[in-house]
Amino acid sequence: MIRFAGRALVALGLLVGVVSAASAGAEELNLFAWSEYVPQSVLDDFTEETGIQVNYESYASNEEMLAKLMSGAASYDLIQPSEYVVEALVKENQLLPLDHAKLPNLKNIGKEYLGQPHDPKLTYSVPYMQGTVGIVIDTQKVKDPVLGFGDLFQDKYKGRIVVLDDALEIVTWALATQGLGPQDVTKENLEKVRPVLAQWLPLVKVYDSDSPKTALLNGDVDLGVVWSGEAAILIDEAPGRFVYVLPKEGAHMFIDNMAIPKSAQNVDSAHRFLDYLMRPEVAKKISDEFPYTNPNVEARKLLTPEQRANPASYPPGDPKLSTFRDIGALGADVDKLFTDLKAKSGS
Amino acid sequence: MRQEATSFSTAAGPRKPPGRIGWLLLSPLVAWVVAFVVAPAVIMLVYSFARRGTLGGVVFGFTLENYAAVADPVYLRIVIRSILYATLTTILCLAMGYPVAYLIGRSSQRWQSLLLMAVMVPFWTSFLIRTYAWVTILKNQGLLNSLLMQFQLISQPLELLYTPGAVVVGLVYTFLPFMILPIYSSVEKLDGALIEAALDLGAGPLRAFSRVIVPLTSPGIAAGVLLVFVPSLGIYAVNDILGGGRVDMIGNIIENQFKGNARNWPFGAALGTTLLVTFALVYWLVNRRQRMVMG
Repeated sequence: MIRFAGRALVALGLLVGVVSAASAGAEELNLFAWSEYVPQSVLDDFTEETGIQVNYESYASNEEMLAKLMSGAASYDLIQPSEYVVEALVKENQLLPLDHAKLPNLKNIGKEYLGQPHDPKLTYSVPYMQGTVGIVIDTQKVKDPVLGFGDLFQDKYKGRIVVLDDALEIVTWALATQGLGPQDVTKENLEKVRPVLAQWLPLVKVYDSDSPKTALLNGDVDLGVVWSGEAAILIDEAPGRFVYVLPKEGAHMFIDNMAIPKSAQNVDSAHRFLDYLMRPEVAKKISDEFPYTNPNVEARKLLTPEQRANPASYPPGDPKLSTFRDIGALGADVDKLFTDLKAKSGS
Repeated sequence: MRQEATSFSTAAGPRKPPGRIGWLLLSPLVAWVVAFVVAPAVIMLVYSFARRGTLGGVVFGFTLENYAAVADPVYLRIVIRSILYATLTTILCLAMGYPVAYLIGRSSQRWQSLLLMAVMVPFWTSFLIRTYAWVTILKNQGLLNSLLMQFQLISQPLELLYTPGAVVVGLVYTFLPFMILPIYSSVEKLDGALIEAALDLGAGPLRAFSRVIVPLTSPGIAAGVLLVFVPSLGIYAVNDILGGGRVDMIGNIIENQFKGNARNWPFGAALGTTLLVTFALVYWLVNRRQRMVMG
């Protein structure tokens, strides 16, 4: 039923697209991006300035995006993959190289985003937003210091923890406690972290990737491992109650990027939109609505001191951060390990 | 004793195949079924024998490894658990839905339409919103806990949300109308004279219920059981929202193969095919039992 409704919506969308293109003869841009990640005002301003109509279709996971992109059912001009998916897409030769001459604002992107393993020279992608995954603590309920995964996953916190419902995330945290990074996902290491996860999962009360902040705000749980953007919102909504800590064992950093798929039809519009997004005042607007780490250093200068001081958006110090890598078919093993231990720990 | 029911069964009569005009009238339905039921099922079946593609999708071929994986204890445990949850949901819906349906079916015309309306009203709101409403009721400082504390029945909030119990409550709540409506339509057609006859002939209320009322309303029961069991086996939103994602069901596992890290479409297709075969089996069993009851 849902699938059918989806199909009907897509058909409707196509119809609207065809009609509007025919009537105005206007240029179009088909943007396929995460839900709740690109402010509508940014799209509207772009359309007003350039006359290019932006069709924003959204997805809720990288894999969902890949599934639709690879099916070829619709053509997209810009996609918003995370770093490990950029790596996989480049490997499979699915992205168009960017024309840097058309992207003068690329100079605003921080130097630390160069040299990343997924796309070291930003040949195929530009960073859109960056974030971390860290620990949130409700200080009204938890008095002991929690500095890392080892402090968090303790018996005394049983039934008081929310974590992301994401197999690869949780496996990465367990790897960190063994001194291993996200690039170390192998069959042997998965067996190595099995006992760690077998001890952790029975302590978890809620698995939620979409809105882990809800269980914390409702007071159903007191600690959690969540996206930094969710933590930033919690800190903003209940000042003084929540703190955000990057685990001392090492934390996962994600970089969400914009890239142009091979099948894109409006390559020129895509470049114009990319460059527009990298204007400092536009990038600032995105930060206002989605308080992740803005890779645009010129935009950061436009933020308020409070925004810059939010430790979830801009973590102080020099934390140990690493990105995911494409793990190919091992994804199925990661999923199986998580499914198995979850079922055994569950009620 | 079964004869009582038999003489009133019209379903047992011989049926003619539709003529040329009949097929013409049926053609839109046939086309719809082929396009949206048969074709997707065939695609799923073909995918289930293929191999995993690198970026999702499939590499065509023939392998049985996806079905071997379904039988893997890790997944088999979840398949069995899903069947148990669906069975429990069906039993609870039947136990709660039958009396309600009977009451509605036996009340006056005016009351019937009012009560039926009451059963249907929840459908006016999205299923997801109604499920989130249960979060508000069951959460730590939610409506139910506040109410119980107010009346001093408990001193500490009960652990209600994010438990298997919450999942069952959500499932029963979601599917109860699907049990009530078909049973109601059977009860409504029930001839009161037959019940009176049974009582006159010396059957007690219990005997009249089990030997007359239940067999006569069995088509409604069968339809209700199917309408509840089948969707509750595949659903995954209720256990994500009310179970805190702790109680994975077969639907969650299938979702992960397409939208999660696994990116393993052929395995997802194999799980889907297994589910389809289970449905067909349940349908066949219910139907066979139905024919036996009807004589």
